[in-house]
Amino acid sequence: MDGLRHRYGALTALDGVGLHVAAGECVALLGPNGAGKTTLIGLATGLLIAQRGRVRVRGGDPRSAATRRHLGVVQQSMGFPTTLTVAELVRGAAVRAGRPAAAAGPVMAEVGITELARRRSAKLSGGQRQRVALAMALVGDPELLLLDEPTTGLDVASRRTFWQVLARHRDAGVGIVLTTHILEEAASMADRVVVLHRGRVVAEDSPTGLTARLADRTVTARSGVDLDVLRALPGVLTAERDGERVRVTSAEPERVLRAWLPLDDALTDLRVEGAGLEQALFALTADDQQDQRDDEMVGVPA
Amino acid sequence: MTAVTERVVERREGFDARVLGVEVAEGLRAILREPVALFFAVLMPVLFFALFAGIFGGYTSPSGLPVAATMLATYGTFAVATVMMVNPGVTVADDRTRGWLRVKKVSGTPIAVSVAAKVIAALPYALLSLLAISAMSLAISGPVLDVGTWLRVVGVLLLGSLPFALLSLAVGFVASSNATVAILNAILFPMTIASGLWLPPGLLPGFVQAIAPLLPTYHLSQLAQAQMTGAGGLGHLVALLVSTVVAAALAGLAYRNLRV
Repeated sequence: MDGLRHRYGALTALDGVGLHVAAGECVALLGPNGAGKTTLIGLATGLLIAQRGRVRVRGGDPRSAATRRHLGVVQQSMGFPTTLTVAELVRGAAVRAGRPAAAAGPVMAEVGITELARRRSAKLSGGQRQRVALAMALVGDPELLLLDEPTTGLDVASRRTFWQVLARHRDAGVGIVLTTHILEEAASMADRVVVLHRGRVVAEDSPTGLTARLADRTVTARSGVDLDVLRALPGVLTAERDGERVRVTSAEPERVLRAWLPLDDALTDLRVEGAGLEQALFALTADDQQDQRDDEMVGVPA
Repeated sequence: MTAVTERVVERREGFDARVLGVEVAEGLRAILREPVALFFAVLMPVLFFALFAGIFGGYTSPSGLPVAATMLATYGTFAVATVMMVNPGVTVADDRTRGWLRVKKVSGTPIAVSVAAKVIAALPYALLSLLAISAMSLAISGPVLDVGTWLRVVGVLLLGSLPFALLSLAVGFVASSNATVAILNAILFPMTIASGLWLPPGLLPGFVQAIAPLLPTYHLSQLAQAQMTGAGGLGHLVALLVSTVVAAALAGLAYRNLRV
């Protein structure tokens, strides 16, 4: 996907976004509501038509049904006919992707919905529906999986199964793009995290790289070393005293400690705290959320 | 990232008749498993037929045929138009509001296949409706048509239902489920009455008789009657073809405004 731009009336949902996903790679899209995640998935599935830019899946346009046979999609706000059973839904999805209906059995077992096979979709819980949706996405043996908030409504146990299943398919060479609000999921599953912010990519990195790059770590200890001496140490960004404790921020705490420890034999109660992905994300999009609040207050039409 | 193995997936490309089969099966199941909506669409014309055939069936119509025979054409048109006008549009509106059309739009199914399946899945119920009316006619008035003529009438009515199905889809693409039912019935009932499907056109006021030739229901019932009388039906056929083109254009226009 290159140079994508998409507007809804006056609202620019995506502005010059590019995204490339390799086989066997998992990319997580993060960002606050309205950042453009669902719009991006909509363009990749052919549901929306790019107003500017280019979308290609295996060289084909996802607006053509032939290209979409290679996609597995879990959308937000998807629904099933109440008159169909789980097995009928999954078998239908297999046929629509050009695969034999018999492919449904093993996939239903893998996702853990075999015992629901004869149940009508109207009688499924939210978590069960989500698992059926995953089975329908996987049953076509897709080259690329596009998952928009796939774990919504899942309890902790089924969420774990969900990620195990996805990891297995990724290791088998399936490319995965997913959006999630649960940052630990992105951190554990994704090879790459793309942070969207008002329709633009503001950061793109591995989960650890993103955390390291965007959030400084804090080193605190009881120490008598003078603040000016600390500020002169390599790698120190700021140093403050809080009673007996000293608080130092740095992007490279190991380097700071190597210089600091020889200066103070009496140093005790050492703590190094890293920012999580959540803090990193918050730092990246905080001004966006502020802007959104301002917009709401003056009532900018969408 | 772990080492990537070469994946070989056997996949059918191009048109796949199995997809149409799945879509039609889903449509048939929807009607079989939740038959309430279509129950009335089938029952209403049959009951009306029984009522009026009981009263007028013995008379002779202006064309020289027994009224019981011409009523097979008029009530048959009413029956077929009711099923084909209501079912495809309402189910497509349901699919849309439920989020199922979204699922199909991102699947490997061309949307034309889904739409064709909606129409095909409704046809057996239109046929069922015609069979019920014919059985009723046989019970009330005895045999009034030979088998060959009857088959031609049934064939004409089923094929001629296409413009109604397209119009139904046009509404279903843009209106909500409830609005679709209301709008389609609001179109269907005036059309039925003005085309002389319930009561003979001669009993209707003059201005209503003047509207009739503008309606596809009128031409379908006339084309069906032409199968019995042997009269030329070319004008009616052309009118139905024009209706089909107009309805298809409306459906296409509505589809372009489709929000899923």
